[in-house]
Amino acid sequence: MGFAGSDPAQTAQAVKILIAGGFGVGKTTLVGAVSEVAPLHTEEYLTRASVGVDDLVGIDAKTTTTVALDFGRITVSDELVVYLFGTPGQERFWFMWNDLVLGALGAVVLVDTRRLEVSFASIDFFESRGVPFVVAVNCFHNVRDRTPEEVRTALDLDPQVPLVMCDARERTDGRDVLLTLIEHLMARRSAPRPTV
Amino acid sequence: MRHWTEDLEDDADEPLVRPYTITGGRTTAGRDDLTLITLITVRATPGTDTAAGRPALQPEHRAVLRLCARRPVAVAEIAAELDLPVSVTKILIGDLIDAGRVRARPPLAFAHNGAHPDMTILEAVRDGLRGL
Repeated sequence: MGFAGSDPAQTAQAVKILIAGGFGVGKTTLVGAVSEVAPLHTEEYLTRASVGVDDLVGIDAKTTTTVALDFGRITVSDELVVYLFGTPGQERFWFMWNDLVLGALGAVVLVDTRRLEVSFASIDFFESRGVPFVVAVNCFHNVRDRTPEEVRTALDLDPQVPLVMCDARERTDGRDVLLTLIEHLMARRSAPRPTV
Repeated sequence: MRHWTEDLEDDADEPLVRPYTITGGRTTAGRDDLTLITLITVRATPGTDTAAGRPALQPEHRAVLRLCARRPVAVAEIAAELDLPVSVTKILIGDLIDAGRVRARPPLAFAHNGAHPDMTILEAVRDGLRGL
């Protein structure tokens, strides 16, 4: 893997990090706080063809829905760009959007202490898919009404999963949340892993 | 069951042209190797595959070429700039790949089946974030 010299067009790499959590927890705010550009917006039609037939048990086979995606960009170097994807609100659809989920470095699950339950589904999802993640508690207006330990207990979080407090509006807080994720990934990388 | 008119006011800024008109009615890309973060770059020397009978470039195709002229741009970013759904954008990009006008660089696969990102990548991301 070379980062030296050569034409970026030939060697550039893009990686993505998912910013998940329930509706209204501040995902787009966090993306906007750390992105070098105002959050970009795009949409995708999810249909039977794009989500896989097996996943649609119980859902009308003709279901087509439009899911909206806000994302940001951090250019690390000429040759490495990090895209931050705030996951769409409609969880039952984006969970099946393989193109969004596959190939992520990892995820941040943002939680609001007043409505912890809206982020349960994201945590379950990443746990079951084996996608590494950290939990960031968005302290709206810097109100810290619960301790990290209380939140961890309420979420029944694996002790290995880092949990940090943040204000999603603050660039430095957003940066620190992402750094926590990257350091978590590095620790997992260097830790001896059982061979399966 | 919601009635179809319930969300209409949300669609006020929808384009008047149905997106798939731009693709000549095609709703699926002929290729499935393009992802949200596949990087697209314009080929300095367009490929020689300019077979007669290939459909002429649409304005949207040219917009993609303009966007990717200076630096590699991810598929999601192209979709956002063109204000088109990702799947429509992928069809347009597929046309340009087939015509030898752009090149696609697939992302590395991570986070599945025990695959781990290269430490070099993680260090580069960490160092980049520290500079924010």
